[in-house]
Amino acid sequence: MILCVSIATNNQEHRLMNENVIELKNVRKEFVSTKHYPGWKGAVKGLFTKEKERKIAVNDVSLSIKAGEIVGYIGSNGAGKSTTIKIMSGILTPTAGICLVNGLEPYRSRKTNAKNIGVVFGQRTQLWWDLPLSETYTVLKEVYEVNDRDFEERMAFFHEVLDLQGFIHNTVRTLSLGQRMRADLAAALLHNPKVLYLDEPTIGLDVVVKDKIRQAIREINEKYNTTVILTTHDLNDIEELCQRIIIIDEGRKIYDSTLNQLKKNYGCRCSILFEWKEAPDEAQLTALHTMGENVEFTRQDNGVRISFSKNETAVADVIAKVMGTIEVKDIQIKETELTDIVKNIYQNGTGQGT
Amino acid sequence: MVTIMNKFARYIRLYRIFAVQYMKTVLQSKVDFFVGLGGFLISQAAGLAFLYLVFEQIPSIQDWTLEQMLFIYGFAQIPRGLDHLLTDNLWMVGWQMVIKGTFDKYILRPMNIFFQIICEKVQFDATGELLIGLFFVGRAVVNGTVHLTLPRVVFFIISVIAGSIIYTSIKLVLASIAFWIKNSSPLMTTLYDTADFAKYPIEIYARPIQIVLMTVLPFAFVAYIPSTFFLINANIWKTIGAECIIALVFWLFAYGVFKKGLTVYESAGS
Repeated sequence: MILCVSIATNNQEHRLMNENVIELKNVRKEFVSTKHYPGWKGAVKGLFTKEKERKIAVNDVSLSIKAGEIVGYIGSNGAGKSTTIKIMSGILTPTAGICLVNGLEPYRSRKTNAKNIGVVFGQRTQLWWDLPLSETYTVLKEVYEVNDRDFEERMAFFHEVLDLQGFIHNTVRTLSLGQRMRADLAAALLHNPKVLYLDEPTIGLDVVVKDKIRQAIREINEKYNTTVILTTHDLNDIEELCQRIIIIDEGRKIYDSTLNQLKKNYGCRCSILFEWKEAPDEAQLTALHTMGENVEFTRQDNGVRISFSKNETAVADVIAKVMGTIEVKDIQIKETELTDIVKNIYQNGTGQGT
Repeated sequence: MVTIMNKFARYIRLYRIFAVQYMKTVLQSKVDFFVGLGGFLISQAAGLAFLYLVFEQIPSIQDWTLEQMLFIYGFAQIPRGLDHLLTDNLWMVGWQMVIKGTFDKYILRPMNIFFQIICEKVQFDATGELLIGLFFVGRAVVNGTVHLTLPRVVFFIISVIAGSIIYTSIKLVLASIAFWIKNSSPLMTTLYDTADFAKYPIEIYARPIQIVLMTVLPFAFVAYIPSTFFLINANIWKTIGAECIIALVFWLFAYGVFKKGLTVYESAGS
C-alpha cells in the first residue's frame, strides 16, 4: 500500500505552480523471475524448469504532481513505493504506461533527467565513503557543472539548514547516520534539482535529526520551489510536511486526496476513556447506554471506553451525560491519529473499491 | 564539432577528478596496494619460471626460440595491463553492483554510465603487468629479436590499444550478462582466464582451443598474432589490421549488449 501526501506552498509567484511536474499514466511494472521451489529438491528442480513467475510491483498507476508540492509517499512494505520512485528517477523502465518528469521520460532521456532530479535513498548513500565529506561536494560540483557562485551560495544555505559545519571535514564512513543523512540530502540538492525524491529519508533517525531534516525539506521547498516526493513509514513526516495523500495497495493506487480529506473521511471517530471512582450499578449502566445508536461502549478494568462519530454526537454531550450519571475520577479524550487511519487502510482498504 | 570537443574535455577533466579521488582512497590503505602488487609479482614469476623450465627441456617450440617466446609473453602483458589499469571496476558490476542494486547511482548521474564505471577505479596493480611487459619488449629490441623502426613503434602502439579494447569488450560483455543473471562473476572469471592462452604461440594448443581463441574469445589477436608482424614480418593486414577490425566489432557488440542490459536492470529492493 502506498500513501501519497502533498503540500502546496503558498508561493504564488512561481509560474510553474500549476504545471504538472510529474505525470504517470497507467504505469505498470512487472518483474519476471524463474520460479523457485522450497527446499533442496526444489532448488534442483528450479534449475530445470522454465516456469516464470511474474510479480506485478506497480499496477496501472496514474498520478500527477504539481511544481512546488511536497508529496509524501507512504505504504506498507513491498507495496511498490520504491519501484515507483525508481521509475520516476529513471532507474527502472516501466513495463507499460508512460511516466513524464518535466516533460521527459526519465528512462529514455536519462542524462537530461538526471540534471533535473535529486535522489536520496535512506538506506544507501551517494557520498564518497572513504573520503572527507567536503570532497563529495567538490566532485558533485564538477559532475553537475555547478558554477562557483551557486556552489558557494548553496553550501552556505546547507550549512544553515542542515548544520554541516561540524563534520564537513570528517571521513564519510565515520559519520553518524543522522549526519550522513543530512550530508546526503545536501548532496542531492547541490545542483538545485526541480524534483527531489526522498526514499525513507528519516529511517532510523532520532527525533531531533528527524525534525532537522523535515525543517530543511520545508525550507528548501519554500526557497527553491522544489517539488518533493517523499516515501516514509513515519507518518509524522507526512503530518508535518504534506497536505495531499495518495495511497497505493499492492501496486494499485487506492487513495489520492488531501490529508485533511483523509482525516475527515476516516478520522472522525473519537473515543473517551472514563475512569470511575466506584463501579456503577445496573441502573446507571442502562442509563449510559441510552446515549445514541452509534455510540460504542467497551467495559474496561475500572472504567468504560466510549467511541462515537463526532459528526453525530458532540464530545461535550457525551461527557456531560456520563458525568451526570456516574462519579468520574479521570477522563482521557483520544482523537483518531493518522497512524490509526493508515493502519486501517493498510488492513482493510479504503472501502472505495480499488 | 566544438560541442564534441567540449564534451571530450569535460570527460577528461572528470576522469582526472575521479581518479584523484580514487588515489586518495588508495593512499589511505597502502597495505592493500602493496599486497596487490606483491601477489601480482609472484604470479608473474611463476609464469616466467614455467617458460624457462620448458625451454630447458626443449630448445624451441614450433620453431619459436626462447627469446621470441619472451617477446610474445611481454607483448601480451601490455594490452592486458592497460585494460587492467583502466577498466577493473567492470568486475564489480558483474560481481556485486547489479545484484545489490548499487548500480543505481550511475543511472542517477548526468554522465555516460560506462565512463562512470571505469573512472571510479584505477587499478595500480596493473603497473606490474605494464613494467614486465615493457621490460621484455625492451629486452627483445636490445638483443635484436625484433628490429626497431619508427613505423613499427606506431604499429606497436596501435596494436596495444586495439588489444586493450578487445580485453575491455570481452569483460564488458561478460559483466553485462549480470543484468540478466544478476551475478556473472563466475562466468567472467572462467572465460577471462582463457586470456592466459594469449601469452604463448597459438600453434601449441589443440585445434578447438585455437578456433575459440580466434573467434568468440579472440585473445589470439591481442598479442600473439600481431607479434608475428614484429617477429617474422607477417602481413600487417592479416595481423594488426585484423586485430583492429576485431577490436572495433567486439567493442560495438559489447557496448550494444551493455546498453540492452541497462534496459532490463531491475535494481534491488531497499
